[in-house]
Amino acid sequence: MDTKRVRSAVISVLGIGGFFLLWHLVAVSGLVDRVMLPSPAEVFWSALAIARTGELQDHIRASIFRMALGYAAGSSLGILMGVLLGRSTFLESLVGPILQMARAIPPLALVPLIIFWFGVNEGAKISLIGWATFFPVWINTLLGVKGVNPLFIRAGQSLGARRATLLLKVVIPAALAPIFSGMRVALSMSFTVLVAAELAGALAGLGYLIQMSALSFRVDTIFVGIVVLAILGFIADTLFMQLLYRLFPWYRSEQTGK
Amino acid sequence: MIGQALQRQGFVPIPDFINVDSVSFRFDARQLALGNVKLTIPLGQFVCLLGPSGCGKTTLLNLIAGFLAPTDGYVFVNGKVVDGPGPDRGMVFQDYSLFPWLTVLKNIEFGPDIAGMRASARRERAMHYLDLVNLGHIADSYPTQLSGGMKQRVAIARALAAGPKVLLMDEPFAALDAMTRSKLQLELIRIHELERPTILFVTHNIDEAIRLADRVLVMSPNPGRVVSDVTIDMEKPRARTSVEFSRLYDRFEAEIGLESS
Repeated sequence: MDTKRVRSAVISVLGIGGFFLLWHLVAVSGLVDRVMLPSPAEVFWSALAIARTGELQDHIRASIFRMALGYAAGSSLGILMGVLLGRSTFLESLVGPILQMARAIPPLALVPLIIFWFGVNEGAKISLIGWATFFPVWINTLLGVKGVNPLFIRAGQSLGARRATLLLKVVIPAALAPIFSGMRVALSMSFTVLVAAELAGALAGLGYLIQMSALSFRVDTIFVGIVVLAILGFIADTLFMQLLYRLFPWYRSEQTGK
Repeated sequence: MIGQALQRQGFVPIPDFINVDSVSFRFDARQLALGNVKLTIPLGQFVCLLGPSGCGKTTLLNLIAGFLAPTDGYVFVNGKVVDGPGPDRGMVFQDYSLFPWLTVLKNIEFGPDIAGMRASARRERAMHYLDLVNLGHIADSYPTQLSGGMKQRVAIARALAAGPKVLLMDEPFAALDAMTRSKLQLELIRIHELERPTILFVTHNIDEAIRLADRVLVMSPNPGRVVSDVTIDMEKPRARTSVEFSRLYDRFEAEIGLESS
């Protein structure tokens, strides 16, 4: 069991190492323009240079701040609306279709409008991220709540749970697995929208770093932005899953069948 | 809990503790799932509803549980009309209904928790019932980690811990292998003798009904009804090899066979 995990970790490290090696070889091969494709080492040194001035940290901080706020707002609203619509056929018929239509709008299509309305301030970017994270969480919560095994509801009822208690102690816990998958999708979605919002107008942030680098022909710092985003995304997803496993020990065995 | 109280009082049976009063039920206009069923069950009795699939035995159980409402007639439990599920009627389902997001102990504490019992008291109560089904050592496990037999034992403990007046069991051992099933039957007999809950146990297994029941109600379909009401006085646990056992077996087989053909 443990040797298996060590084995797969080693293979993963080899995979990542292999990727960077390949990147390096292509970059130094002379087949491509070094300015257009800097080697991993050059990207690393550029990152270090921006980090020394504290600028990189400022960009990361600005991006994480927006993402965290937007994600928290979008997810909580998504869970709330999912539970409400999942338990009330009236509400589902009333606002369900509108939300379904809104869900079909690609969030990026809203970027120009939001900037037109709110300018380039923080509120605009945070609400755009909130908008994008709302939908996957909402739809998964809705389906989760509606798809709760009726046996759990019957069991809860015959143990004395009714209305609010039944909702809080049976329905919502039973729907947590789909809610979590919605939140996981929303997490990666929030990165996408974050960058789009920052590209369109910001004074700091990783998207802004990429945009500014492009305007000043610094492909190496474009790569710094991209790689940092990749690492942040990976860390966010890993932390998210680890947190779930820690807080909800049953979730791991349900996920992995162990 | 109720059992202990009764033992103190010298166990005076309430003759019509459960009263199914002329109950009919239809799922749709064409078919009568239950036709004018009348029966009473005294407090503390272990009753098996025996019959082939489609005879309405689970429907009858669900009516008493309050998951379904009768098309005609009334169900009374302890003198009150049943108008929905409630903690006075504990359920054990055929499929595993333990909450996978709670540990075994928290599953059993669920009923006492809803009833507002304090943490230390409900923990003690849950441990009592977990010990009763001989699973004290798995209190902190999650249901996904348990075998089918263990799950059903926990489900029985959970239902009992809520302090029901009657335990309604819907083919609880049907999905288990023969050996586990046999073992759980013996455990259930022991629990019934210790705590004296009223039990209504649905099964299509003749052997199971004879092993467990103080009284067997044989049901038959089209429309679902009780065709035979047999009290079994044999001492428990009952040997399958006894003459009385085989006589009852043949009788029930004939009744089910004749009625369903």
